[in-house]
Amino acid sequence: MIRHRYFDVQLKFRDLDSVVLTPVFFRGCVQNSLERFFGQIGGDTTLEIIKFSAEQQRVVFRVPEEFYERTRASITLIGQYQEVPCHFRVLKTSKTPLDFIKEGENENCEEI
Amino acid sequence: MVRIKNRYIAVQIVPQTPVQTLRLNDSTLSKCLLQNVEKYYGVYGLGLLEHGFRVKYCNERTKIAIIRCIHRGQRYVSSILPLITLIGDVRAKFRTLYVGATVIQCNKFIIKHQKHFLDRMMGQTASAKERQDLFKRVMELDMER
Repeated sequence: MIRHRYFDVQLKFRDLDSVVLTPVFFRGCVQNSLERFFGQIGGDTTLEIIKFSAEQQRVVFRVPEEFYERTRASITLIGQYQEVPCHFRVLKTSKTPLDFIKEGENENCEEI
Repeated sequence: MVRIKNRYIAVQIVPQTPVQTLRLNDSTLSKCLLQNVEKYYGVYGLGLLEHGFRVKYCNERTKIAIIRCIHRGQRYVSSILPLITLIGDVRAKFRTLYVGATVIQCNKFIIKHQKHFLDRMMGQTASAKERQDLFKRVMELDMER
């Protein structure tokens, strides 16, 4: 069985009106970052989006456990989304599923 | 004092079309390898490997080269070698011959390998002058560069 790591990420943009915020574009952005920093072999992982809220600008997604550090580093290093300056803030990471409303309920989560 | 461990990888360049000599030098080979490390292992892999990376020896005639890299970056180099198909502007592939911890061991292996190569090539040369030239070119292990 594959063990996963869950991420709760907040997206912050300089100009929110000029970006199209969709799960597909977000996934592409993270995967591009992974490939740029860790290459085709090192950055090849499956990123599954669990929850996505364009209004709250928050995403919950999961990656296999062994890609936790690399994904974490890649998210921190993202500086542009559709050529708009941005930064993604990792609010929480957990070994168990995360949700927007279940804040603070999870015992295994690591709050940042 | 901390000792920096290196690994020396002896490789043979096998061109797609048989040619007498490859128009390759140390810098072309080095650039090609680092470009591929960046492609497959990204900026992180390149940063890890760049320090201490060097092509120590490159023989155009026998198409053999020795690559030096740091101990913990060896996996990055050896795993991308089979994936490379274009070296400079030559369509070719790498054949890993030997991985050693010291350049002396690598040299010993290459000398043995070149002797086998000489045995094969001597039969194909016509004059004694050509044989002498071939011997000189093949056996020169210029590590000063």
